[in-house]
Amino acid sequence: MDESRPQQAEVAALLGVIERMAADLALAEEPARFIAALEAGRPPAGGEAGGG
Amino acid sequence: MTDWTLEGLAAAIRAGKISPVEATQACLARIERLDGDLRAFITVDHAGALETARRLEAESRRSAWRGPLHGVPLAFKDLCFIRGLPTSCGTRTAEYFLAEQDCTVVARLAAAGAVTLGKLNMTELAMGPFGDNAHHGHAQNPWRAGHCTGGSSSGSAVAVAAGLALGAVGSDTGGSIRLPAAACGIVGLKPTYGRVSRAGAMPLSWSNDHVGPMARTVRDCALLLQGMAGPDPLDATSSREPVPDYMAALGRNVAGLRVGVAENFFFQGVHAEMEAAVRKAADVIARLGARVVELHVPDPQTMSDVTNIVSRSEASTIHARLLRERPHEIQPVVRSRLELGMQIPAYDYLQALRLRARLTRAFIALVFAEVDVLVAPVIPEPAPPLAHATEGPAHELVARQGRFSRLTRPFNGLGLPALSVPCGFSSAGLPLAFQIVGRPFDEPTVLRVGDAYQQATDWHTRRPPLD
Repeated sequence: MDESRPQQAEVAALLGVIERMAADLALAEEPARFIAALEAGRPPAGGEAGGG
Repeated sequence: MTDWTLEGLAAAIRAGKISPVEATQACLARIERLDGDLRAFITVDHAGALETARRLEAESRRSAWRGPLHGVPLAFKDLCFIRGLPTSCGTRTAEYFLAEQDCTVVARLAAAGAVTLGKLNMTELAMGPFGDNAHHGHAQNPWRAGHCTGGSSSGSAVAVAAGLALGAVGSDTGGSIRLPAAACGIVGLKPTYGRVSRAGAMPLSWSNDHVGPMARTVRDCALLLQGMAGPDPLDATSSREPVPDYMAALGRNVAGLRVGVAENFFFQGVHAEMEAAVRKAADVIARLGARVVELHVPDPQTMSDVTNIVSRSEASTIHARLLRERPHEIQPVVRSRLELGMQIPAYDYLQALRLRARLTRAFIALVFAEVDVLVAPVIPEPAPPLAHATEGPAHELVARQGRFSRLTRPFNGLGLPALSVPCGFSSAGLPLAFQIVGRPFDEPTVLRVGDAYQQATDWHTRRPPLD
């Protein structure tokens, strides 16, 4: 069986998310903002979450 | 001794109840006795481990303690570079990658006093969630022969579950620490992206690789993480975020903590016994005083697809030479995944990285405004038979692999800390597990919830039927 056909279908399916979601990305959006998101999302004052 | 926790062994060594040489010999004897069937190790460094143990024993006699892991035997996934030992990364060529120095994690744990027993089996190139490896032998699930171990850190989970090593290091690009931890009934932590250096660990995806600890208890994982975490000039992606005292966070109660059960995506198509065990684990946490609520999270499938595009592109780039020059050496399903990555245009790869940033920002803002941690299943079903992992044409295997890792992959893209904890057994005697996911760099809370759960339950004290 030709393995390339299912592979092409898988690539197309995988890249569908880009077509659906990337069109309205802000001009300022860039890969490095992922690290910024992690740093901004850490628990308050560098400590752990509340409770206990 | 091989039944002890890592923390218990370290304390016993300090108290002079057992020596580093005795501890190391006990592990080596157990490896000798059981690993012919289990296939957890690719390389056992018998001589090197005993030499290190003798040196540590001499140091302990004069109370020269290196650190909290003095004399504790550990083992490392065979993608961690260790000077003097071959690194196959699960490929056919045993000495495929030659290292001139130890990877940062190995060096840090050795500095804390650990003894290196050897290098552990893994899925070829860390690509695959079932733990099969045609080159080095399929690792066997200690709970039931002939069943998957989970992967790609298969040997790491098997070695810990079977008591061949008291702790191990794995890596997680789409679930490769948590999947085998769940399938083998141990604890595995994928830390926050950047929390633990990746330097000297053979990469699969620079953007999604995480190195982390695997052990029988949450406390042992915390102890290992303490030794591993922190900034590293050799890894540009390692974070400068201060490293907290992870052990200090344990033992505190979880009263008032907000725990979310992710109701969309994570229970769809999940085996009934797995779902019941995860919901029961959430009930246990609620009885401990946490406020458990149902929560709708931003579509994890979108993040999973984005993560997949990034991982496939980067893996194909990293292993392009192997794919070009020695494709016949690579298992068909792994080759198929690498070839697929070659077909992803740079445009889509970069858009995926941009989307990842936006999706991560949104997920953190929406989810952690409502809860402190999320709980969800790790694997959609108990460890399936090994034949399930290896039968059929490559494209079917790739699809099956994607389904098995669909509950873990989103958290690689999100970079969030995620801890897999055992929470029962199926009617067939196979481990069940749930994952606890927290804010970035909030490993203390994730570990605290996991430890509180283990203090209230006894799943982690069960042992596979090997003796």
